[in-house]
Formats: sequence, structure tokens, C-alpha cells
Amino acid sequence: MTTTPAPLIEASVTPPSYRHDPAARLRPVNWNRVADEKDLEVWNRLTSNFWLPEKVPLSNDTGAWQQRLSAEERTLTMRVFTGLTMLDTVQATVGEIVQIQDARTEHEEAVYTNIAFMQAVHARSYSSVFSTLATTPEIDDAYEWAVGNDVLQQRCKAVLRHYNGDDPLKRKVASTLLSSLLLYAGFYLPLHFSTHALLTNTADMIRLILRDKAVHGYYSGYKYQRGLERRSAAEQEAMHAFTHELLEELYELELRYSGELYEPLGLMDDVAVFVRYNADKALMNLGYPARFGAAETKVNPEILAALSPGADENHDFFSGSGSSYVMGKAEDTADDDWDF
Amino acid sequence: MSAAATAVTGPAAPRESVGTRKDYHALNAMLNMYDCDGRIQFDQDREAVRQYFLQHVIPNTVTFPTLKEKITYLIDNDYYEAAPIRRYDWEFVEALHRQADAHQHRFRTFLGAFKYYTSYTLKTFDGSRYLERYEDRVVATALYLGAGDEALASRLVDEMLTGRFQPATPTFLNAGKAQRGELVSCFLLRVEDNLESIGRGINSALQLSKRGGGVALLLTNLREQGAPIKKIENQSSGVVPVMKLLEDSFSYANQLGARQGAGAVYLHAHHPDIMRFLDTKRENADEKIRIKTLSLGVVVPDITFELAKRNEDMHLFSPYDVEREYGKPLSDLSVSEHYDELVANPRIRKTTLSAREFFKTVAELQFESGYPYLLFEDTVNRANPIPGWINMSNLCSEILQVNTPSTYDPSLGYETVGRDISCNLGSLNIAAAMASPDFGATVEAAVRGLTSVSDQSHIDAVPSVAHGNDLSHAIGLGQMNLHGYLASQRVHYGSEEGVDFTDQYFYAVTYHALRASHRIAVERGTAFAGFEDSAYADGSYFDKYTERAWEPATERVRALFADAGIALPTRNDWRELRAAVMRDGIYNQYLQAVPPTGSISYINDATASLHPIAAKVEIRKEGKLGRVYYPAPHLDNDNLEYFQDAYEIGPEKIIDTYAAATRHVDQGLSLTLFFRDTATTRDLNKAQIHAWRKGIKTLYYIRLRQEALAGTEIENCLACTL
Repeated sequence: MTTTPAPLIEASVTPPSYRHDPAARLRPVNWNRVADEKDLEVWNRLTSNFWLPEKVPLSNDTGAWQQRLSAEERTLTMRVFTGLTMLDTVQATVGEIVQIQDARTEHEEAVYTNIAFMQAVHARSYSSVFSTLATTPEIDDAYEWAVGNDVLQQRCKAVLRHYNGDDPLKRKVASTLLSSLLLYAGFYLPLHFSTHALLTNTADMIRLILRDKAVHGYYSGYKYQRGLERRSAAEQEAMHAFTHELLEELYELELRYSGELYEPLGLMDDVAVFVRYNADKALMNLGYPARFGAAETKVNPEILAALSPGADENHDFFSGSGSSYVMGKAEDTADDDWDF
Repeated sequence: MSAAATAVTGPAAPRESVGTRKDYHALNAMLNMYDCDGRIQFDQDREAVRQYFLQHVIPNTVTFPTLKEKITYLIDNDYYEAAPIRRYDWEFVEALHRQADAHQHRFRTFLGAFKYYTSYTLKTFDGSRYLERYEDRVVATALYLGAGDEALASRLVDEMLTGRFQPATPTFLNAGKAQRGELVSCFLLRVEDNLESIGRGINSALQLSKRGGGVALLLTNLREQGAPIKKIENQSSGVVPVMKLLEDSFSYANQLGARQGAGAVYLHAHHPDIMRFLDTKRENADEKIRIKTLSLGVVVPDITFELAKRNEDMHLFSPYDVEREYGKPLSDLSVSEHYDELVANPRIRKTTLSAREFFKTVAELQFESGYPYLLFEDTVNRANPIPGWINMSNLCSEILQVNTPSTYDPSLGYETVGRDISCNLGSLNIAAAMASPDFGATVEAAVRGLTSVSDQSHIDAVPSVAHGNDLSHAIGLGQMNLHGYLASQRVHYGSEEGVDFTDQYFYAVTYHALRASHRIAVERGTAFAGFEDSAYADGSYFDKYTERAWEPATERVRALFADAGIALPTRNDWRELRAAVMRDGIYNQYLQAVPPTGSISYINDATASLHPIAAKVEIRKEGKLGRVYYPAPHLDNDNLEYFQDAYEIGPEKIIDTYAAATRHVDQGLSLTLFFRDTATTRDLNKAQIHAWRKGIKTLYYIRLRQEALAGTEIENCLACTL
């Protein structure tokens, strides 16, 4: 595949640029001329990973939900998931959408529409858990809690501020930090549960979400680094400072937010380590060295081992649908294949 | 109730909060992380076993001053059935426990111990304390299966505690307990094209799920969507709504929560609803038709392959019309044999579909869901020594037996009780069996143990199943730990020697299994019903063993058997066995079936079935266990090269290995194929064609593995880098 010829690119823009230059000629996306192979690789991975929450037999978790979880644990789960829904709503409706206009290639624009849609699927999937496991008053309580919780609101707004700012790279940093730092504290709970044979189908769903998030975070970080390369040394320095300031702010907020949730159940020590681990992962995606380092990020091995984004879990088909299936690539058989 | 007072129950342990960090889980998870030198941390898993016993099992086990008090307590409090124990002298029961304890059983992996205590051992009714150790479960099972025969019970204790013979989950879980499900693993039910039969099928699915074991139902005979009802056209809604009813029935019934109700449905490839049947597993299927937990199987005759070869359309035939034209249902007809005739018959409604499109759709669905299973109808029936037509399999696609229909009156009573299928399973651990001091006796003990389950099972709730079992005494002797054994002998899975061993091993097992079944027939003075019309009775079954010598093709395999002191049967041995069988019969209509052995292979420290390992350290996820890590049996840091996983080994070698075994097995073998996500539907189709050509009878799941996208792996994580 070759890149789009330079004259055509210079003579035209993609639709998001219309608002800057209504007079310019518009160019349709051409997947036969791909400038950055990473766009195609990520597009292919994302589309083959497509899934919907309806495929997960969440109702198999109702026994564990009703009989094995205490009332506090159920409330914690509802809140953690409502918090996750909030973040995915931010990403689906703003965070990914605003990055379309910043795309460096027309294919990147397409990739972000896919990412935005999958974020909406993720936001939708927690509602599937709720409607399967909980009652309407419980669900309503959780949403009231989310709207009323100051720290949760602050966490979102700290990121939204930069989504609506002027600098495309700041948007990328904010989005990457949200995905890696804020979300994972919420994933801790279902991963922890599944190690203990609780809500394992919900955990299957979370692993499908994780499978997507790993790619989203990686891709945004990759595009950030490509953008940063074109900036001056002074601007690069400024972005470095910005990234670390925002990281500190979000880390601080996350400890407060997760502390409120996890502390009563004695899980906060583990969660804090996990948050630091993911902060370092976020920096790594953005091309920066770790902030915390190995000593402060020794994640509970059962959680770390459960985190691998590859679809390698050998599940038992009779208790769940697993998290390892992908959309097949159809290819016709040829006459040779039937040579018998 | 004086015994109750002596039970040292102590205060019940408080329920642990989910926040409690369990060290043994963390230790077990270290298996998935390399140590600093890049070596797998097996010692951490052994420490996990130790900590699991110290922190959890021992403090939560109820102890008794004496065995007598313990057994009395368990019987008086309705934990144990009295009858299986009272068939023996008490002195013998005590001696049997001493015999069991002398084996000094230890769990080698955390998953083995965790699985046993989570799913098998007897617990107090509130679920908080353990009442059995592993040895107790073995003795209870041996006493039950021995049915008063001291020699057999004692033999079975040795076979089980050496790991040579492992009964399937329903047997090992339930034997001897007072509150229990059935000991049988699998049920296969026909459904005929009328509402009484469908209603009875759903009722049977509920009843059998409640008692444990998987249930498969044959839907091939149901009239298609749009077929007439009472001669009025376009009335029937086809097979999909029946599937929905069954799916919901299975989720409702489970075996005291011990096992999820699980079901499968089989449909013939040439049924007009075949595409709708497959589409129920689509990622974007509508809620009304989406099937989440029911397993699907498709029955594929040779003709479908022939049509695909010629790139022609395949005709789908209305079962409603076929039954009216032929006077028998579609499932009991060889579609390959009658294909041209069916196409030419204007009174049979038909639709068409590109045969290659059909295979492509099957593969697409397998990518998305792992389903459907495939059953190669003509291969299966050519190899079937019993008169009749095999038209379906079970939940794990290894049971292949003949059946006959039942008819019902309008109130669902039976007008004629047909023959439906049940099968109880148990597997030999190949590595352990190869180390047996008397290989033939090990096989015989297993056959006798399994026969005992058949003899003691009477499924009253489903008369057609009880009737079938009474007539057939069918059992399914399976095998596991093939990959573990081969690797321990430094033989590569799927190599010439690996395939040669598989052939010779099954050759030997088949001989000893038939010999055992013959002995039982002589002792009981009866063979299975219909023996006289079988290929055993006229001796033709034995032709393949008497017409040529089956000897190892490689020196290595010859040496493996010689070193193990196992004499391979000669042609003369077979001739003698043929004469004896033709004279006296055999007791069991079917003898072998190789199940996938999920749970029991973990407890038994074996690799599953004849499959290659899924990973050097397998990440196992189950509803009752959570996420646990399992190191391949016999694996150490020095023999890693013999432990290529199934995705590395690829489908061809797996198929070749299974083909070597299939030649000797009267029923089927659960054969899972493993692909990386870079495969396409064409790769799956090519593997299916290869399997069919090699004489494979059924294909079970397709499993897929997707590697993490470069740049998103977890550091030091085994699963990401191996």
C-alpha cells in the first residue's frame, strides 16, 4: 500500500477541517492508501475484537450476587460500576470524539470513531450488569450517588477541562491518563472478585473491556508521541511538565475517590499500588519514564496475572462464554482445499 | 445421635470478607510470572498447596476420634448412604481405609487441591466445613462401585489412589453420598416431530439436569420454519423457539448448585433451518433468537463434503415431508445414500444453499463462539459395530450410540418406550497406566467400575433412558494425560513416535476392554441386548485385528511398551478373543469414549484427554473456581521443549494423533482444535476437511488465542511471552 499522493493531500481536507476552512475541497477516506500502518493495525484489531454485552451470560452471576456478596460488597460494586460508567460516558461522548479533529491521518479519524463507539458499548455494558443483578431502586441509588459524589465529579471535570482546551496534545495526555489511571482502579474490584470465584461472568465482560482499553491507551499514547516529535524542545519540555502535573492531580483525586470506596473493605492498600502501577503504564504509553518505579508498584500477583490483555484464558464453556472469541476473518475455500 | 456429640465441629468459621487477601491465591498466581532468571516458579505453587492446607483446609476439616464414629455420624446425619457401606463387613471397610491411607496421597498442584475441596469433597450442609479428605472420597467411591465385591473395591482403591483410573465427575462427586445427583455423565435424547415429544424432551432435560450430567437433544426431526401444521401451510416456527425453551430449562435446573445444567442440541446439516440454527450464536443476534449457553452440534454426512468439492449447492430437505414419504424420520435415514432420490422427489420440499457457503458459515460461527460441534455421520456409522443408525452425540461429542424413538399419548404417557442413551465415563491416566504392574488388570478394573455404575443406575424420571441402559450396559472408558506421558518420555506430541504410541496404546486398551466385557458376560451369563445382530457376534468386528498384525512402527514405541512390561496383544490373542466373544458375547454394548476431562484431569494431575496442553501454565477460569493457574503435569524448567502448546502444535498433528486412536474406539473422542486469531475461516475449513478425510468422527470446540497487541503486554507475564 502506498500513501496518498502529496498533491491530492495538499488540495483537499477531511471533513473535520471544514469548520476551519469551509472553502477547501473535501476528501473521502481512502483505506487503500494508508500513511501510518499503525492505523490499519489498530483498526483491524479493534474491529476483530468487536463485542456486545448481550453475549455474556451475566445471569449466571445472580447466585453469587444474592447469596455470596454482603450488602456492603454489593453497594461497593454498584458504585464502582457507576463510576466506571461515568468515565466511559465522558470518553464516548467527549474524550474520543474531540480527538477526531486532531487526527494526523484520515484513518486515525476513523479509528477514533470506532474507539468512541466501543466506549459507548462499555458504558452500556455496566447497565447490563445492573439490570441483571440489581433492582431498580438500587440502580437509581447508585446513579444518585454518582451525581452527588464530589470527588467523582472532580475527577471527570479535571479531564474535561483539557478536552475542551486548545492543545491537541493536552487532550491526548488527559485521555491517556483517564484510561490508564482512573479506570483501572475500578477494574480492580471485578478482577479481585473473579480470582475468588465471584461474579466470574461479569469479570469476563470486564476482560473484554480491558482487551479494548489496552489498545485504546496504547494507540492514544502512540499518536501523542508522533505529535510530540514535531514540537520544539521548549514545547516538549512544557508538555512533560503538564503531563506530570496532571498526573499528580489525578493521582491525588483517585486516592481520595478509591479510598472512600475501598477503604471500608480493607482493599485500599492493594488498590493504591494498582493505581500507581497503572500511572506508570500511562507514562510508558506516552513515552515517559515511570513516576513511581518497581518498589511502589508491586501489584498483588493475582491481579497482575489476571491483567494480561491477550485472550488466553482457558475457560470452562459450561459456566460462561469466555473472553477469547473474536470476529472471524472470512475467506473462501479454493478448489485445492477440497482435493480429495 | 450419640455420635453427633463426638464430632469435633468447633465454632463455625466466620464468613471471610472478599477483602481478605488469601496468600495461597497470590502464591498460585506467581506461576504466571517468571522469576528474575526467567524461570517458571513451580516452587511457589507447591507452597500455595501447603498454605492452602495450613490456612484453609485443615482448620475447616471436621475430625473424629475414630473411623467408626465418623462413618456412623455421616450415616446418622444423612451425609452418607448406609447401603453401599453395609454391603461389606466393617473390618473390611476399616482395612480399606488403612489401604487408602498407606498411599500417602498428596496434591501436586494448587488447582488440584482447590478443585477437589471446592467441588468434590463432602461438606457440612451449611457448606462451611469439610467432612472428607481425598482418601475418604476414594474409599466411598470404591465401596459404592464394588457393590459388595471386596476384591473389586480394594482393586479400585489402588487404581484410584495411584491415579491410574479416575471416574468421571458425576461418579466421583456423588458416589456414597446421601444427598446427591446421578452417577451418570451424559444423556442423549431423541425429540420427534410432535408437541408431546417436545414437551417430554423439555421435561426430561429438566429432570436430568437436576440429577447432574449433560443432556443433548436431537432436533433433526422437528419440522422446519414455515412447514404445515394440521395441513395448514406456513404454521411451524421451526427449531429456534425450541432451542430457547431448552436454554431456559437448563439454566433453571442444576444439580444442587454443584454443576450448572448444561445442554446441547444437534441438527442435521440438510435440515432447512440449519442457517437459522447457526445464526443463534451470532454476535449481533437479536435477543429473541440468541442462544448463549446451549451448545450446538451439526451432523454432516459425506455428501455435503462431496457437494462442496464440486462447488455445488446442497439441498435441504423438509423433515415433515421426508417422514411422510419414507415412513421414518430424517434422523434415521442416511442422507448421503438417499441424496439423489430426495432431490428428485417432487413431494419433498427443499431449499438450496451453497455447500461451500455452509462450511464457511460454520467456521465464522466457530470464530465468534467456538460452536458448532461437527459429527461426521457416515464415518461414525461405518465404524459402528451395532445395528442401527447413529444420528447425534452428546454435550462433549464423544458418545456415539444407536437410539430408537418413543411415542406418547396426549397426556405425555409413553405408548412405546424407545431407547435413549446414557453413558457413564471414567478415564485412565496414560502415564500412570503405563506404570501399572498389570496393565490388563487396570483396564479390567476400570471396565468393571464403569459397568457397576451402569448396573446401579435407573433413571426412573426418563423411562426411555432407563430402558436404553437396561438393554445396553454401555460405558465409556476414556484416556487422559497423553501429552504429559509423551513429554515425560521426551517424545514430541504429534511426532511419528507420538502417533505410533497413541495407536499402540489404544490397540492394547481395546483388547483388554473387550476381554473384560467378555468376562463379565460369562459371569452374568448374559450379553447386551441385540448382541446377536452385532459385528461382534459374526466376528467381523475382529477382522481388522486378525487380518494383519498391529505392531509398533518405531523402535522407540516398541521399547516404551517393553520397558513398561506391557505385552501387546498378538494376532493369536485376538483370534482367541474373537472365538470367546462369538461364543459368549460381551456385556457392554459400547466400551470406549474419550471425554475432554476438564476437572478430573486437574485433580488427577494429568493433561486433558488426548489434547496437547493449552499453555505451559494454563489460566483456568470456571464459575466455581475463579481464575487459577495450572502448571502442565510433568513439566519442569528443563523439559520445556516437549511442552509446545496446542496453538503451536497446530491442528494437523492433533488430528493425526486422534485419528490413530479413533481406529480403535467404538464410540468417539472429544477433539478440540486450537487456532491463533490470525487463522481465517478457510484455515478452519481446511482442518475440518483434513479431519474428515483422516476418519475423525466428531469435532468438539474451536478454541482461539489472540496474542496481545505488541506494546500492550504485561511485563514478566508468562502468558504474554510464552
